[in-house]
Amino acid sequence: MLLSFAQFIQNTPFFIALRGSGYVYPIILSLHMVAIAFFGAMILMTDMRLLGLAMRSYPVSDLIDQLRVPKRVGFTLIATCGVLMACAKAEEYYWNDWFRLKMVLLILVGLHALIFRSRVYNRAAELDRAATLPAGAKLAGVVSLLLWISIACAGRGIGYIEPPLEKIHAKLFAAPAPASVMAASVVPAAVVSVGLLPPAMK
Amino acid sequence: MLIEFQNPLNSSALAFPILECIHIVGFALSIGTIAIVDFRLLDFGMRHQTPAQLNKDMSLWTIVGLAIMVLSGMMLYSSDPDMYYLNWAFLLKMTFLVLAIVFNYTVHRGVVLSGASPGRTKLVACVSLALWMCVVFGGIFIGFLNPTLDINKV
Repeated sequence: MLLSFAQFIQNTPFFIALRGSGYVYPIILSLHMVAIAFFGAMILMTDMRLLGLAMRSYPVSDLIDQLRVPKRVGFTLIATCGVLMACAKAEEYYWNDWFRLKMVLLILVGLHALIFRSRVYNRAAELDRAATLPAGAKLAGVVSLLLWISIACAGRGIGYIEPPLEKIHAKLFAAPAPASVMAASVVPAAVVSVGLLPPAMK
Repeated sequence: MLIEFQNPLNSSALAFPILECIHIVGFALSIGTIAIVDFRLLDFGMRHQTPAQLNKDMSLWTIVGLAIMVLSGMMLYSSDPDMYYLNWAFLLKMTFLVLAIVFNYTVHRGVVLSGASPGRTKLVACVSLALWMCVVFGGIFIGFLNPTLDINKV
């Protein structure tokens, strides 16, 4: 089901056009990295403050509350670029183990938020008054730090997996997908994988 | 005379990607801490602190990030120096990197520490962000350039 969705999404006219333009993909990737460069340290500094490693003269709430909006803006930019790249080569990404790992890690980030938002991040004022930072806050910081660094590394890993052309074709022909989807997928998948991959990723 | 020397980095397929990850964390830290100050100059985030205060408390982390970024970058470069030397995206990236670092510790520092008119403050913040953006673009485009500069024409 996910696979046929991947085939469907990468064959919408918008993503066919995006994939077909040689410079658009590297520009989106660059914007993805620029946003990581501009906003990544907000996560690093908040987490290191929670661990008591950095910015110790600042109340915890100063970092958590004042960086909340910028972090959301940053995540939106990073995720938008990421979604555009993933959709343009959806079927190829579907088979990519680093991409799968990255998605699992992003789900864990969601879980991290579910667990720690009410316990730590929405209680920043209490953390300011505490003599020492509670273990829960430190745990939130270290887990977030590990998750986000792992996500960055998994993202870099995506480019190192060669597109499994045979696999894509095998699954394509074996999959009980409607004939229209199959016909539409075979050609673009081959074009993407052979023609437009940057040298660094080959 | 050519000296025969095998770069130990090239003996493991994992060395390059691992260094790339370290490079990414390094520039997220260095550029990111500079960007926090730039965004403050643009009145976006951290408004309880003055830009000068933020700069003072972030500067150590900026240096740490820069050190990680530059050292890992030099090791990445050493894996295939000829390719990088002949790659115009790399040359542009190095130009912008020098400009960005010099700008950061001269004009940018001056405005952050002693203040300036609102217009000039915002201009300096935008120039700083734009320079770092060019550095990152240069880095990504290194891998997308093929063929690179022709060695016979240099």
